[in-house]
Amino acid sequence: MSAEYQPNIVAFLCNWCSYAGADLAGTSRTNYPSNLNVIRVMCSGRVNPLFVVNALQQGADGVLVSGCHPGDCHYMEGNFYARRRFGMMKELLEYVGVEPGRFNMSWVSASEGAKWKDVVGEVVDKAKEAGPFKQFRRDKINW
Amino acid sequence: MNNKPKIGVYVCHCGVNISKTVDIDAVVEFASRMPNVKVVRDYAYMCSDPGQLLIREDIEKEGLNRVVVASCSPRMHESTFRKTLAAAGLNSYYLEMANIREQCSWVHEDKEEATAKAKKIVYAAVAKARLLEPLYEKEVDVEPATLVIGAGIAGIQAALDIANAGFKVYLVEKTPSVGGRMSQLDKTFPTLDCSACILTPKMVDVANHPNVELLAYSQVEDITGYVGNFDVKVRKKARYVDVNKCTGCGVCSEECRLKNRIPSEFNMEMGKRAAIYLPFPQAVPAKYTIDPERCLFLTRGKCGKSPKCVDACSAGAINFEQEDEIAEFKVGTVIVATGFDVFDAARKPEYGYSDYPNVVTGLEFERLVSASGPTGGAVVLGEGEDAVVPKDIAFIKCVGSRDASVGNEYCSRVCCMYTAKLAHLVMEKVPGANVRIYYMDVRAFGKGFEEFYDRVRREGIRYIRGNPSEIFKRGEKLVVKVEDTLTATPLEDEVDMVVLAVGLEPRKDAREIIDILRLSQSGDRFYLEAHPKLAPVDTATDGVFLAGCAQGPKDIPDTVAQAKGAASSALVLLASGKVKIQAQISVVDQSTCRGCGYCVEICPYGAIDLVTVNRMGNLAQAAEVNEALCKGCGACAAACFSGSIQQKSFMDRQILPQIAVLGVM
Amino acid sequence: MVDVAKLKEIARETVSRDDVKYLIGWRQGTFGFRAAPHFVNKPEDVDQLIFSPLCSHNLATYLTGVEKLPVPRGQEADSRKVALMVKGCDSRAVVLQLVEQGYGRDSVVVIGCPCQGVVDQKKVEAKYPDMGENITAEWGEKTIIFNLPSGKTEVPREEVLAGKCLTCRYPNPLLADAGAWEEVAVWGSDDYADVQDLEAGNPQERRAFWEDKFASCIRCYACRNVCPMCYCEDCILDRLNPQWITRAVNPTENTAFHLSRAFHLAGRCIECGECERVCPVDIPLMKLNRKLTKEVRENYDYEPGLDPEAKPLQASYRPNDKEDFIL
Ligand SMILES: Cc1cc2nc3c(=O)[nH]c(=O)nc-3n(C[C@H](O)[C@H](O)[C@H](O)COP(=O)(O)OP(=O)(O)OC[C@H]3O[C@@H](n4cnc5c(N)ncnc54)[C@H](O)[C@@H]3O)c2cc1C
Ligand code: SF4
Ligand code: SF4
Ligand code: SF4
Ligand code: SF4
Ligand code: SF4
Repeated sequence: MSAEYQPNIVAFLCNWCSYAGADLAGTSRTNYPSNLNVIRVMCSGRVNPLFVVNALQQGADGVLVSGCHPGDCHYMEGNFYARRRFGMMKELLEYVGVEPGRFNMSWVSASEGAKWKDVVGEVVDKAKEAGPFKQFRRDKINW
Repeated sequence: MNNKPKIGVYVCHCGVNISKTVDIDAVVEFASRMPNVKVVRDYAYMCSDPGQLLIREDIEKEGLNRVVVASCSPRMHESTFRKTLAAAGLNSYYLEMANIREQCSWVHEDKEEATAKAKKIVYAAVAKARLLEPLYEKEVDVEPATLVIGAGIAGIQAALDIANAGFKVYLVEKTPSVGGRMSQLDKTFPTLDCSACILTPKMVDVANHPNVELLAYSQVEDITGYVGNFDVKVRKKARYVDVNKCTGCGVCSEECRLKNRIPSEFNMEMGKRAAIYLPFPQAVPAKYTIDPERCLFLTRGKCGKSPKCVDACSAGAINFEQEDEIAEFKVGTVIVATGFDVFDAARKPEYGYSDYPNVVTGLEFERLVSASGPTGGAVVLGEGEDAVVPKDIAFIKCVGSRDASVGNEYCSRVCCMYTAKLAHLVMEKVPGANVRIYYMDVRAFGKGFEEFYDRVRREGIRYIRGNPSEIFKRGEKLVVKVEDTLTATPLEDEVDMVVLAVGLEPRKDAREIIDILRLSQSGDRFYLEAHPKLAPVDTATDGVFLAGCAQGPKDIPDTVAQAKGAASSALVLLASGKVKIQAQISVVDQSTCRGCGYCVEICPYGAIDLVTVNRMGNLAQAAEVNEALCKGCGACAAACFSGSIQQKSFMDRQILPQIAVLGVM
Repeated sequence: MVDVAKLKEIARETVSRDDVKYLIGWRQGTFGFRAAPHFVNKPEDVDQLIFSPLCSHNLATYLTGVEKLPVPRGQEADSRKVALMVKGCDSRAVVLQLVEQGYGRDSVVVIGCPCQGVVDQKKVEAKYPDMGENITAEWGEKTIIFNLPSGKTEVPREEVLAGKCLTCRYPNPLLADAGAWEEVAVWGSDDYADVQDLEAGNPQERRAFWEDKFASCIRCYACRNVCPMCYCEDCILDRLNPQWITRAVNPTENTAFHLSRAFHLAGRCIECGECERVCPVDIPLMKLNRKLTKEVRENYDYEPGLDPEAKPLQASYRPNDKEDFIL
């Protein structure tokens, strides 16, 4: 892979933990790669697993879903459902040949600004390793 | 309103916080080329009054109907800008924030990169903004009444506060009398007030309060509805005594054929009562109750020639025909104050609680030292002629607390102090007594606790650090086998009596209320508060609050404080008379819902029900969201295969364009 | 083993009941080695009922379709029961449809048919290329007996049975109101060899394998339509707002379609194999579905359609669900 390749990553963050954690990383003036773009949802339980398929289809090279640590969900149980759904989705994607590094899930709490930086770093590195996603990317975007 | 989107994009410099790394002009120029964007402006501080004024004027003059503010995190200023929109007469949910500060300018150093990312973020916000829909925050009226479940000190205090504020309270107590555990205590640490002396006036007050309807010897059967509007169903168990006639004279109990034959629950089964009884002399209401499981007439249909109590009662209050009654009423808020159970010492067989009568629990010892207890307050072992006064008494702390082997890892918070209190009472009552306390740690954290602990030690009570491994009998004596861990000496301590400082546990019947109110439990199995720090009396269900030991072990001062907290939380709702309902909740398209019930299962708030709908002449099941219960998490929306349930403001069709923009750019 | 004569007797009694609308079973097809669904409306139609190794169709699919027919104005919806013949795998579909409240337990009469395996059309047709009309089949001792025009032939069952039957662990109906049968012995076992094959390869191989398969899909949606668990009123594959997947038939949309449907069947596919059977271009759909079946069994200890009381996999969780994949 050429050194300039910059993967494009779409991330779904829950409002209460991960989005707040990412905000904290900002407030603490952390510095991390700019490859990751965030879509805020109220709960990781809101993230429809098909969003991941859709993001890959619409041009993302990697997808991240991040929520509160188990037991910390603002809505008590949402992240437990998310964990189950994405555990299966990840298996499915890898089974059809999507590289394991493309889809990731993380627990980042509102106080883990530093962890957020690490997660972004790791997700970007993995996506770089996987290279541009072409497998089932749409050539004509419709939206 | 003409619904063709006319979007205004407002890019904030945030002083230099954003403009230092983001090329504002480039973002503005880019935004002006986005579809449906009518106005783009930048300003030093969008959140300032002049900044907000810009938006308001554009809405009014340019007829904007969607606003994108590219500035800080929505967690910071979303509510500010929502108000701006509302002030200009635009529905406040036509706002979308683009976070180009916390998640862009502050975390990227390279201006080019940060600018490119800011453009994307703004574009994604515009893409979503085009599809935003107006939402309305509904208000529902709050029924000006509260249900308090459990009338221990927590329930009593909460009921009194609410009643004193002028609102109606239904106070439901399972047992025949109010008072809870506190009524069983003799003195209370750290000040050694007599428990009955400080509690009884409150018990009487609550029962006589014009705003309180006391439903003693009753049980909540069902609660439906939502904040402000709960429908409650209570079963008033038959006492077989007409409370309107009973004067509380007690002649019936004196005459009962089973007098002194039935172990008294109040005295921890150490004293005896009759089948018709008052649990304890100060019981409120002071009305007698027939124990339906013991009464000869009720169990066998016959009690001598005629029931003695009936003959004795000159008021004619006894009525064997009485049946349970169901009371139904509406309340706006609910306070759960159902208290605790003490740990069952038999679950630590090594301490011989089930084997030796002179191994007792702390609560039993409370009854023993109490003037109203089975021995009239004398510390004695055995009865009548055989009664002896124990001189060597050992206390063992942390029985059933901080003990993973019995599944209780938590500290019960009162045992250290009540042990000190009971030890002190021994010194007071048994001259020349020799008292030692086996402990792991002494936790004297409360106001006046450390001082009390000091005082007790000065009285000659010995604290020995060690967790006894076994208690067995040697002759007439009990032997406590333990290692003094401070001196590393194994001991076999011969004593006359052992008091186990049993911890506090969730009630065995805790599930009843969980099932009725859908409460959750924390790891320690007590009821779970909404947030351990910031919402310690709230629950996940709006309008339902916790007070006292139902939420976790605590002493009386903390119980009362929490009860007052719960009462004030309930009063906030009652006093305002209205409660706002979330706007970003879920909606079901009942024409496509297939009624699979996945969303119903998943919703953590029980906000969804299946209802019968008519679909082209066929009856089908479809989901329906109770707007007052939904908290807008969206978990249901991700579960529905066909996308029939959607979370407002986070709909699939609003999120997919965001994905598209972020993917393509 | 099913006593077909007795089965017909039961069927006759059932359709004669006032509270039964009709019975859905199988009859002999009109060509080749095929059976066809048979809607029995009156007792005399019972004569054509069969139960043989040709009865592949999972008739549970019809149960969820029934209610969708509009009721003409002024008429009452026919709320009578539907009777249904089920094999072991079919019964799991009924159980799961009940879990998902597709209909009420008292709106169906389930007639159980323990199954010794149904044939794979493609295997049989390859074996007997010049098939005649109306060939019937029956079960022998570990064999299938075909009544070919040239006479009876007996084949070891492994040679002609459908893949799903070779790995079937539930040949006996798990739910039935009636049936003329003794349980058959379970002889299949399942190690997911077909899935493991592919798992063993590297991502490039798996990608190449599926790219090839998905590219040939013509998006006829026969697989979805035949699936007893795909009974959504408005499938996301058809939705226009939002449009998850465009109408274009090309590798990217096809892949998105297959991933979406596979995911929707995670913890729901009861392995009746109908999707693969009906696919006109022979896409090995079971190899896709069974990947998730395997995951679900291994990681969540769950098999759909066994227990009418069990919560659906995707509507439940355990606090200790696997999370080794989470950062
Ligand atoms: C041995 C011992 C000694 C103690 N000594 C002291 C002391 O000296 N000082 C001090 O500060 N604290 C002391 N405590 C702690 C004190 O007892 C508690 O803080 C206090 O009793 C908690 O009150 P509560 O109202 O939360 O619970 P409880 O007193 O348990 O009251 C709960 C009430 O709810 C009722 N109830 C339960 N379930 C239902 C239902 N489903 N429907 C209707 N009613 C229901 C119960 O019958 C009961 O009346 C001691 C505790 C023990 C065990
Ligand atoms: S999950 Fe969807 S289809 Fe199922 S009941 Fe809920 S809204 Fe209806
Ligand atoms: S959004 Fe959350 S709270 Fe609201 S109905 Fe759906 S699952 Fe329940
Ligand atoms: S996906 Fe295929 S095998 Fe699974 S239930 Fe549907 S039709 Fe049957
Ligand atoms: S593919 Fe999904 S949405 Fe479509 S019918 Fe099947 S389960 Fe429903
Ligand atoms: S049946 Fe086959 S060709 Fe038709 S949509 Fe399904 S996989 Fe594609």
